[in-house]
Amino acid sequence: MRRALALLAGVLPASLMAVVLFLAIYAWPAIRFNGIGFAFENTWNLGNLYANPVTIAGTQIQPGAHYGILFLIVGTLLSTAIALALALPVGIGAAIFLAEAVKGRFRLVVSFFVELLAAIPSVVYGLWGIVVLIPFLSRNVFPFLARALGVFPVFAGPTGSGYGLLTSGILLSLMIVPLIGATLRDALVGQPAELREAAAAIGATRFECVWSVLLPRTRTVIIASTFLALGRALGETMAVLMVSGNALNYLPQNIYAPISTMAAFILSQLDSALQDPTGMAVRSLAEIALILAVISLLINVLARVLLYAAGVKRRSF
Amino acid sequence: MREYQEAGRRFLPGALSPIPFVAELRGMMDETREGPPAGHSLFPASEKIEATPLVKILIRNLDFYYDDFRALKDISLPIYDKEVTAFIGPSGCGKSTLLRVLNRIYELYPKQRAEGEVLMDGENILAPGRDLNLLRAKVGMVFQKPTPFPMSIYDNIAFGLRLYRHLSRSERDDRIEVALRRAALWDEVGDKLHASGLSLSGGQQQRLCIARAIAVEPEVLLLDEPASALDPISTQRIEELIAELKSDYCIVLVTHNMQQAARASDYTGFLYLGELIEFDDTERIFTHPKDARTEDYITGRFG
Repeated sequence: MRRALALLAGVLPASLMAVVLFLAIYAWPAIRFNGIGFAFENTWNLGNLYANPVTIAGTQIQPGAHYGILFLIVGTLLSTAIALALALPVGIGAAIFLAEAVKGRFRLVVSFFVELLAAIPSVVYGLWGIVVLIPFLSRNVFPFLARALGVFPVFAGPTGSGYGLLTSGILLSLMIVPLIGATLRDALVGQPAELREAAAAIGATRFECVWSVLLPRTRTVIIASTFLALGRALGETMAVLMVSGNALNYLPQNIYAPISTMAAFILSQLDSALQDPTGMAVRSLAEIALILAVISLLINVLARVLLYAAGVKRRSF
Repeated sequence: MREYQEAGRRFLPGALSPIPFVAELRGMMDETREGPPAGHSLFPASEKIEATPLVKILIRNLDFYYDDFRALKDISLPIYDKEVTAFIGPSGCGKSTLLRVLNRIYELYPKQRAEGEVLMDGENILAPGRDLNLLRAKVGMVFQKPTPFPMSIYDNIAFGLRLYRHLSRSERDDRIEVALRRAALWDEVGDKLHASGLSLSGGQQQRLCIARAIAVEPEVLLLDEPASALDPISTQRIEELIAELKSDYCIVLVTHNMQQAARASDYTGFLYLGELIEFDDTERIFTHPKDARTEDYITGRFG
């Protein structure tokens, strides 16, 4: 019985190892063929899928095929950075509000709604993004931003269709706010009562107490929950695919420009890549997937270690 | 004024049956308020007469409730300026609760409330509409567990200062040094003011908290079992510190350690089950207690 349970439990880490390992084995020819340039070249070209394969450096590919994903790396990093920049202040603010300003049943209800934000399937966010967010942003917000902040080239027009970097960042931030907010709220609620009393006893207001005394003590939790959120934002596929504009071989010139991210690109390119008789296109997608998986794993491990060190109960979303 | 001082002295022996007298005293305090402000600052140093302590805080018919539970029952007693008043009693007797009324820190918790009067310099601090932050600037508090804030030693003390006063950098530096010297901590931390407050030992942290409290220049200092989490040597240092600080402050000490009350305080109140059983000169409480329960407690028969 004990052995059977151990076996069952062992399935989980084993399958994780298996996924990463088989991904690595499958992607290996592509890794060898693409070399380091994969990350620094801005060309994703499947080649002529109707011609006969040619052999280059001992590897069969379609003529003209070339795989470089710089634009994906840039798109992923920028959209994630925008999402974090928006989600951090909102999440910290929400956590302070939930931990300090509301009490009892009302706190439970509001906290529940914050956590529900994380429970909505991403395709629902994506559709809402297309139907509601994009028209609103492209008609009202982006032109205003371009006028108000146009002196900075990043914010200058053209503002485009609304599908793009900033929209992706905003949508992603909505999806990760609950991760930061709920984790930090728990950490704040768990701060010792003596410290609140000590701050109040010296004449600090509630806000001064939270801001100067309690929040610095949750620094590790803020960092860790940010990493958790980062992991989620990096891996988010469907919602980003729906609102990013799905750019190909294009580096964004301003904050409204279309982008594509690594996760979204794997999905959007899979159908075409499967047409490649040499399989090199799918293997290159697998290489993207491998990079994404390794980065996400590392970030999550780091986040868990930090949270564990900070003594916060692990939350699952 | 003499009368007022006299009143404080006469008030002392009859602390538990003071009602007619308290009314008289109250009347006098009200009078004082209409004239020059009440308080010790009125008296020139030469007029300070030993053994005629001034009433800094007068507690009258104080009840305290945790939700429905009545934790303090009709407490009345004076607390004298420039003296150390200790509250002793077994766990749950209400001694900490009584202390927590004096800076209204209980207001952090919605279900706790105090009824009655606590007159500080003649003004009822329980009156609605009091500015709590100003009250707490006048009444500093040090807790059982050291509560250094997660910042440098310097910033721990500057934290309270910044809330009240706009000081120039050099003035602030001076105030911080004075506070640390008063708290007998300067010699140990003077050269590492920008190290984290959390890096200090428990006893040092507690003295840091005392320095933080006195940097704001309060008039009253509340000490809630300030040495109970410390080793004997640190405890001794805290007690020496209390003896030194009492020349400048009205100190209220809660302790479960009777020897500490006997060593460190001038007046002692014994609380039991929310009632003030006896309040008197510390020496008298420990040598000639009037109530059998006080005697049982100080001789270690319970609690």
